[in-house]
Amino acid sequence: MNSDHPLLIVENVSKAFGGVQALSDVSFQLFPGTITGLIGPNGAGKTTLFNLITGIFPADTGDILFKGSSTLNNTVHELVQCGIARTFQNVELFESMTALENILVGQHARTRCGMWGSVFRFPWVRHEEGRATKIAFELLDFIGLKEHALRKSGDLAFGWQRLLELARALASGPRLLLLDEPAAGLNMVETMQLGDLIRKVRDQGITILLVEHDMSLTMEISDAIVVLDQGKKIAQGSPRSIQEDEAVMRAYLGTSPQK
Amino acid sequence: MRVQILYSFFILMVALAGHFISNAYYLQVLTFIGINTLLALGLNMLMGYAGQISLGHAAFYGIGAYATAILTVHFSWSPWLALPVAIAAAVMVAYIVGVPTLKLSGYYLGMGTLGFGMIINIIFREWSSVTGGASGFVGIPALSLGPVSFSSRQNYLYLVWGCVLLCIVLCRRIIDSRVGRALRAIHDGEKAAAAVGVDTQKLKLQVFVLSAGMSALAGFLYAHLVCFISPETFSFIMSIRMVTMVVIGGMASIWGSLLGASLLTLLPEWLHAFSEFEMVVYGLILMIVMIFLPKGLTRGILDIVERSRRSL
Repeated sequence: MNSDHPLLIVENVSKAFGGVQALSDVSFQLFPGTITGLIGPNGAGKTTLFNLITGIFPADTGDILFKGSSTLNNTVHELVQCGIARTFQNVELFESMTALENILVGQHARTRCGMWGSVFRFPWVRHEEGRATKIAFELLDFIGLKEHALRKSGDLAFGWQRLLELARALASGPRLLLLDEPAAGLNMVETMQLGDLIRKVRDQGITILLVEHDMSLTMEISDAIVVLDQGKKIAQGSPRSIQEDEAVMRAYLGTSPQK
Repeated sequence: MRVQILYSFFILMVALAGHFISNAYYLQVLTFIGINTLLALGLNMLMGYAGQISLGHAAFYGIGAYATAILTVHFSWSPWLALPVAIAAAVMVAYIVGVPTLKLSGYYLGMGTLGFGMIINIIFREWSSVTGGASGFVGIPALSLGPVSFSSRQNYLYLVWGCVLLCIVLCRRIIDSRVGRALRAIHDGEKAAAAVGVDTQKLKLQVFVLSAGMSALAGFLYAHLVCFISPETFSFIMSIRMVTMVVIGGMASIWGSLLGASLLTLLPEWLHAFSEFEMVVYGLILMIVMIFLPKGLTRGILDIVERSRRSL
């Protein structure tokens, strides 16, 4: 895809929950192969925006275009099929399953064996299974957990669980990856490793939208930043320009507009 | 490889049982264990693997039994022709009921399926012109296939356990596949399962329909074994017994279904000696199993074996 064409277009999106306006008239675009940081104080509407993009609930007004077509009528699993993957703020692994199995489930969208296929075990089913296992081991290797493939994901250390969730999201073969606070609960070393991994993912051509409270990580790895405050987009630009933006300072530090 | 050995052992045990046991009572009990295993197995797919509770599964058991009874007696169909129709009937009802109810979860799904089971039971009881009403349905023909008559208890035992083996193979294959992994993923977290691309509604419906079909098969086998059915057998109590078999045997365990079904079939037989205290002791045993082996018999026994091996 030409890098001039945005992969994702968020167009005048608004969403209200009862009387609370969670998002009002938000627009921005994500370009292929970039990392965009989405920041803002608590309650700014970041998670709501994630849920809209992944199809958990629809926008009240406005439109979201992925690869040029509207996603508003698609369900969550259909959007995964189209190439949108995500991780969760509170790690949501399949805890009773092994690390390997988690990544195998992650490939659900790009494998196709159904009830009949599993009962009759056609040759193509075995072939597909073998391929899926190979990809799963490659991804485990990528995050450095190959030796722990057969351990229950619930028993892994928290930092590893975060990485495993990232690998599981990658397993669906996404074009767009949404990361919801991937560094929350990680120590400094782990956060740096995570930053490296996210960059490597971007270098494979995957577009990333990142919500993160760790500002040094966000500013360091993002190509562009979008700032939300109270449901509105208040700034957008390069990390450097955002750090100097007055509106952003006000939102974060609460400086009075009159000075 | 290990699986083949397990299956061979299973076949051998059934063959030995059929060959050496001639006591009609024992054969009958073993046959009932087989039928109950089918019920537990089907429900375990839904409860143990996909994590969706059903408190109305006796309805599908009943639909299988009544469908074959009506077709063979009122319409003089061959039972072998009635079998696919009976299963299809249960599958269709499961589909229609499943579409709205499986949108619920947890307690609400329990309530929804409970209500469904009661409605079906009332239909069995009240639609007397077709189902024989509360007094039951008599005169269901015994099965025979060419020269083989299944009115012999040995042959019926083979038939039932053949079906059990078939269903075990079927379930194992589903579980060890992409579909099975997705089912377990739904159990662990429905939100995350959807986020990796699993169509959770569709898959829950599929497994609901599958377990309904297996219950209907059990109903068919029951009807032609006993040749008399009444609404009592398919009441709310039966639904609860099915859930108990799954939980006691071990959730998400195929051999656990077999164990749970065996225990719950055998216990009442053994406990006749306690006469009026029978139900008290029965309840007590279930309580003790749950307190000391909360993951069910299979997992619990395996844990004990592992622990003793480690302490050696």
